Amino acid sequence: MTRNKIRITLLSGFALVAALIASRPVAAQDAKQPYPNMAPIEQYLMDRDAEIALARSAAPDSISRDAEVLVLGRHGFETAAKGKNGFVCIVERSWTSAADPDFWNPKVRTPICYNAPAAHSVLLRNIKRTGLILAGRTKGQVDEAIFAAVDKKELPAMEPGAMCYMMSKQGYGGDTVEHWPSHLMFYFPQTDPAIWGAGLSGSPIIAISDAREHVTTSVIAVQRWSDGTEAR
Amino acid sequence: MTRNQIHSIFLSAFALVAALIATRPAAAQDPQQPYPTMAPIEQYLMDRDAEIALARSAAPDAISHDASVVVLTRHGYETAVQGKNGWVCWVGRGWGAMFDHPEFWNPKVRAAECINPPAARSVLPYAYKRTELLLAGHSKQEVIAAIKAAIDKKELPALEPGTVSYMMSKDSYLTDYGGHNGPHMMFFETAKDGAAWGANLTNSPVLAVNYWYISAEAYPQLKSFPPLSVFLVGVAKWSDGTPAPSM
Repeated sequence: MTRNKIRITLLSGFALVAALIASRPVAAQDAKQPYPNMAPIEQYLMDRDAEIALARSAAPDSISRDAEVLVLGRHGFETAAKGKNGFVCIVERSWTSAADPDFWNPKVRTPICYNAPAAHSVLLRNIKRTGLILAGRTKGQVDEAIFAAVDKKELPAMEPGAMCYMMSKQGYGGDTVEHWPSHLMFYFPQTDPAIWGAGLSGSPIIAISDAREHVTTSVIAVQRWSDGTEAR
Repeated sequence: MTRNQIHSIFLSAFALVAALIATRPAAAQDPQQPYPTMAPIEQYLMDRDAEIALARSAAPDAISHDASVVVLTRHGYETAVQGKNGWVCWVGRGWGAMFDHPEFWNPKVRAAECINPPAARSVLPYAYKRTELLLAGHSKQEVIAAIKAAIDKKELPALEPGTVSYMMSKDSYLTDYGGHNGPHMMFFETAKDGAAWGANLTNSPVLAVNYWYISAEAYPQLKSFPPLSVFLVGVAKWSDGTPAPSM
């Protein structure tokens, strides 16, 4: 299962997401390959101030105002604002944060604020992945490079307590799932999701393991957006 | 009582999200010490079948159906149902909260909880020991000293990674404050505070409390205990799938 399939599987566990999927019209393009190739880089870039604001919207202001912010440049993510609380906010693009049909969808904008342990582990993988993508590598080449770096410990294992906020009311998840529900994500070294009761009927926890990256990710929906308004 | 103390009380391992929306004034008793001593043991006990049912209601049936269930007796918790999925469901009493919690001896507290295998192995033993010693008549200071000695001798385990607790029962009574209850998940971490998760900040959905105390000043020996924080995240539904009031 690819990384993006894992992500869509995780998040499609939410009823809201399921409803969004069920109700969306079929895309005008070939539904299987609406975005077969990378679009011109300009389509993935954003106005710098707008990107900073969108990145910060992933978490409540009480967290994100003191966070470091990364923005996408032509060659990868770069620091746009220094932080002081260990959190790092970023707007991820399709190649790390959308379902497979949206892998090259230039409209995808996924705001995330990682806590310090996640910034030291999960985020490094996404930064590396983005750098490789923008250098022209194929999806397969990028996957293999990430897997190899994880195996060689060039990319660190998940740190204890790694988690992130995805509570932005804005952003665009892709044509498959236009907007994620407000949620938190937690990262662990590869663990059987069953230990959390994840995915069982009535459980608020969804989780899935990625054997190639040695990580298990769990998701819990929360009831408000980052601005405090009700999300359900 | 300071603002932080009040905040901590609301966020105690039992008193959680629902309590944050509390608007009613404190009980007519001294709000700092509404329950200064232990009530007669009978007030903490329950009908065995009712306690089993309440314990199981902490998690969705898909989890609790195959869980072990422990119930409170006059001398401590004992296994009432042997499970097969490694989870343990139980009903915590007031003394499961921090040692300086004002509702420590509140006999109305019934905190239904189902904990996963890592938590059953590494968190529950602390609750068992605390309960046995308190029911045997030991003072809080004696209990704290005994737990510290057991930690030092490694008779009590270190916290395992991946611990989680479901507290989604519609029938729990967690606190005298607010709506008395609210569905939530709890995660145990060896953290000194909630800063790493952005807990307790404005609009954060994560609340965090120290497992041992609100303020270590009341029982200074607790300062030497291994750091243990409890992180709480409110959820939208009760264990039976019905929607809960918005937090």
